[in-house]
Amino acid sequence: MSKTSTGSEAKGGWGSDRSIERSFARLRLSEILRDYGIYIVLVVITIAFSLTTTRFATLSNLILILLQVSVMGIIAIGMLFVILSKGIDLSVGSILAIAGIFSGLLAKQEPTVASVALAMGVPLLLGLACGLMNGYLVAWGRLPPLIVTLGTMYAFRGLIVWYHVNPIYQLQPWFRTLGQEKIGPIPIPIILLLCVAGLASVVLNRTRFGRYIYAVGGNEDAARATGINVNLVKLCVYAISGFCCGLAGLLFTSRLGAAQSISGVGFEMVAIASVVVGGASLFGGRGTVGKTLVGALLMQIVQSGLVMLDVSSPIQQAVLGLIIILAVKVDLSVQTHEEGRQRPMSLLRGMFSSGAK
Amino acid sequence: MARMAVNAMALRRSFRVEGSRALFSGAAPRLIVRMVGVSKSFVGTQAVRNVDLEFLAGEVHALVGENGAGKSTLMRVLAGTYTDYTGDIFFDGRPTKLHSPRVARELGIAMVHQDLSLVQELSVAENMFLGREAPSRIPGLINRRLVEKEAGTILAEIEAGISPTQKVNQLSLAKQQLVEIAKGISTHSQVLILDEPTSSLTKPEIEDLFRVIRSAREKGVAVIYISHKLPEIFAISDRITVMRDGVKQKTRAVDEWNEAELVREMVGRMLDEFFPRRHVYLHEEPVIEVSGLTLSAHFVDVSFSVHRGEVVGIYGLVGSGRTRLAKTIFGLSQPDCGQIRLDGKPVEIRTPADAIANKIALVPEDRRGLGLVQVLDVGKNLTLAHLKALSSLVFIDNREERELVQENIAALNIRTPSTRLPVSALSGGNQQKVVLGKWLSTKPSLLILDEPTRGIDVGAKAEIRNKIDALAADGMGILLISSELPEIMGMSDRILVMRDKRVAGEFGRAEFSEEAIGSLAIAGRQ
Repeated sequence: MSKTSTGSEAKGGWGSDRSIERSFARLRLSEILRDYGIYIVLVVITIAFSLTTTRFATLSNLILILLQVSVMGIIAIGMLFVILSKGIDLSVGSILAIAGIFSGLLAKQEPTVASVALAMGVPLLLGLACGLMNGYLVAWGRLPPLIVTLGTMYAFRGLIVWYHVNPIYQLQPWFRTLGQEKIGPIPIPIILLLCVAGLASVVLNRTRFGRYIYAVGGNEDAARATGINVNLVKLCVYAISGFCCGLAGLLFTSRLGAAQSISGVGFEMVAIASVVVGGASLFGGRGTVGKTLVGALLMQIVQSGLVMLDVSSPIQQAVLGLIIILAVKVDLSVQTHEEGRQRPMSLLRGMFSSGAK
Repeated sequence: MARMAVNAMALRRSFRVEGSRALFSGAAPRLIVRMVGVSKSFVGTQAVRNVDLEFLAGEVHALVGENGAGKSTLMRVLAGTYTDYTGDIFFDGRPTKLHSPRVARELGIAMVHQDLSLVQELSVAENMFLGREAPSRIPGLINRRLVEKEAGTILAEIEAGISPTQKVNQLSLAKQQLVEIAKGISTHSQVLILDEPTSSLTKPEIEDLFRVIRSAREKGVAVIYISHKLPEIFAISDRITVMRDGVKQKTRAVDEWNEAELVREMVGRMLDEFFPRRHVYLHEEPVIEVSGLTLSAHFVDVSFSVHRGEVVGIYGLVGSGRTRLAKTIFGLSQPDCGQIRLDGKPVEIRTPADAIANKIALVPEDRRGLGLVQVLDVGKNLTLAHLKALSSLVFIDNREERELVQENIAALNIRTPSTRLPVSALSGGNQQKVVLGKWLSTKPSLLILDEPTRGIDVGAKAEIRNKIDALAADGMGILLISSELPEIMGMSDRILVMRDKRVAGEFGRAEFSEEAIGSLAIAGRQ
């Protein structure tokens, strides 16, 4: 970063050199708060729980927390893609249930190559298909994301409950490997989560497609006028979210050793909360994978910590709710300096409108 | 007909003779606002530094300066938007702390913002009386009829030609501006602040506005007029204050200024020429030939060509179809019929991606809405249109990207402390340079510029015009759309005039005259 680059000799509105430096110090501080604030909060909360409970700061507990967060983390990463494009996906829980039921049904056979491939592949493809349907309706159907995914949330759920209302138990032992085994000391779900996160991070930071997602979310019209295929980008982000839900459904079923058509109810809210606590903007165009994971982790850590402190579950919920509001408030107050005013109305309008002119 | 006086000098003269100048006639004018040592800073900049300024009843006080000079910031302090200022403000001689927009409003300070702040979904009347609705007999409800009647009276008074029941989102940008002004007037303000009020108005509309401003002045209102357009400033103001880099330079009566001096105070140096034209157009082969292009709601049967190294200007009033024409050539709208040939070959352009592939670039009129992604940083905005060339397979080459960004920043003299700053933090002129840089990266052979210097400061205007001239000299074909007649005449080799959806005429450089071009654009409209 070349400081003041061409600015120092010019008479633009940047003032004298000394005042530039002073204002930069301030800019840096707010930048640091914005970029790393959530990590600081995570560390502080972890330390607080470590001091107040005895079993919290142990390696096994750390792994347990990561294990618990793995399914939600994968869904939240998919959700991040959608939210970055200024959309929202409420159907994640229902897609998870579809993927879960089908993986359960396919996991009752003996472990042949074909049955393993089907049990692993079909849920992913179903998730992808559901996501593509969301994306198609949002992009080419020119319908508001909130409405589309609210509709498919109910539709997918209704269909899967109708298709298979009873829970599926007694899955083959080979199927449970995915959710319950370890590679070395680390459970497979954690490894999967980290793989998904790594891949997502590369896509968002290093590829053209990733850059286009930020552009579409930041200003759809400008993105279109820059030659970006906005509809394709939208289709892809919902497809990614659907695929992540498929994977999450597979993991979820495998961990539990059972599949239910009512799994994942309310997951959409936890996923959105994770993304938002992680500092992503519902206005689109701002957010990172790392911080989304931290957001998900933060919610899980608080919950686990409260359990250890014997806080009752309704109070846990209330605390989590407050954390969501607080996190966004802190984030906004850091941002307002630099990004100027953004009108709350436009958020609502964005959610409820299709973006079509 | 006075409306047709397009020439700036004539405009000035015609305005001067009308209206008594309250400031200099009769009793000593009353001091309404006195600012002493007012400062305001943001993260990254000290926007206003230690400004002393006075505003009198019954004067039009122009506040001029480059973008980023602090004039809008200073006025937002006065309007109560920025409350964390330092210094003292006296209103009617009493020290006043402007700690909220409400306080300012109750004192009678009204501000019409540069970027419109109307609620698009509400009617004109509802917008004008937002927050001070007339109560109905049934408590809690609004007396809509009364509100609409009052709004109608004000709108008729300023002859805006707008119905109070119309929804704001159905009005043109120019009409919305008039609604904003009517809203300011409806509060019976003592101080009326107009921030760039004419940026989207046509000549007749500007004259309407000026009439309204003069009537406000006669009623003893202090009108503060922020603008870039020097002829207008000379036409309407009684006193002119120049700001530069957040500091007040000088305040003087309008008669004591001349244009060159004013510009020098604004930019801190003498601009020897406003309109550089060093490129010499020699008849070369056409880059683009458009024939019979029609999009019936916006333009009909448009034919023209642009040659290599030629600047073709399109002049016309807002609504004459020029912006839509540009968007259609760029693939943002589909024409009903007509043909476009590039380098002699017919092409079909369905999307902006097609246009880019055919080496066409569009710097759009609406910088905020179409030009930039405000939340992304300067660097990412600069390379957004050119990522394909910067990436192998799907991955972006970071080093190449950084190099391209640095090249652009140097070539266009973009003033930014960091390439990682959100582009929204830059001044208007620098944002416009980013848009230009973004499109020049794609190395177009046809560059369409729609109002490339609107709403930016004098210095940046000159830089952008210099750049356009240099690009033409390098052989780029340029289609320049502008509603600034001096600009389009200064820059172009040929001018097409659009009126009522059609190309009404064409002028070669030898035939340029403000009278002829201006009246052709206006003729038949009333």
